[in-house]
Amino acid sequence: MKNRVKVLRAERDWSQAELADRLSVSRQTINSIETGKYDPSLPLALKMGRLFGRAVEEIFDLDGAA
Amino acid sequence: MVTKSATQPVPIVARPFFWGAAWFIAWFGARIALESPAVPTWGRVIAALAPTPIAAAALLTIVRAARELDELEQRIQLEALAVAFVLAVLLLMTLGLLELAVTLNRDDWSYRHVWAMLPAMYFLGLTFARRRYA
Repeated sequence: MKNRVKVLRAERDWSQAELADRLSVSRQTINSIETGKYDPSLPLALKMGRLFGRAVEEIFDLDGAA
Repeated sequence: MVTKSATQPVPIVARPFFWGAAWFIAWFGARIALESPAVPTWGRVIAALAPTPIAAAALLTIVRAARELDELEQRIQLEALAVAFVLAVLLLMTLGLLELAVTLNRDDWSYRHVWAMLPAMYFLGLTFARRRYA
């Protein structure tokens, strides 16, 4: 599953550690999500959507076009 | 390991390491007591059962700590335990079949030795899982 987490994070000039703190997860989790090695749980995806002010479908894409 | 509440201090009695160490000490003490011929039977039974409540406390703190882990860390720990479990079953199965095929020296190769290899199997699984998500 592709995602735009890295782009959205960069737009806000946040480090991975800063985003991890805001989402109460580890920096490794953010790194694994950004590199596509790990797909987040639904609650974490929803928290990301709320934090970035976007719908979950705008951040994550099953078809790989995000 | 990263926890959801990594910034909050955890009391030492709530740490899995504390109870894990207490469990090991209780087991070691029980082994010493059980190997002593001077200890009466009732004392040997108490020594054999003594580590059980400490193990229960360790289990409780480990499960609580696992629930507090970050979701990726939970996945990594699950995969590490899955690898350790499958390797342990494989080793038990292989030892069982080999014992049917040939006579094994029980001092070198027996079911008693498998539990001692579990930590190594767990850390092997942990290494694989961490590399996968690194």
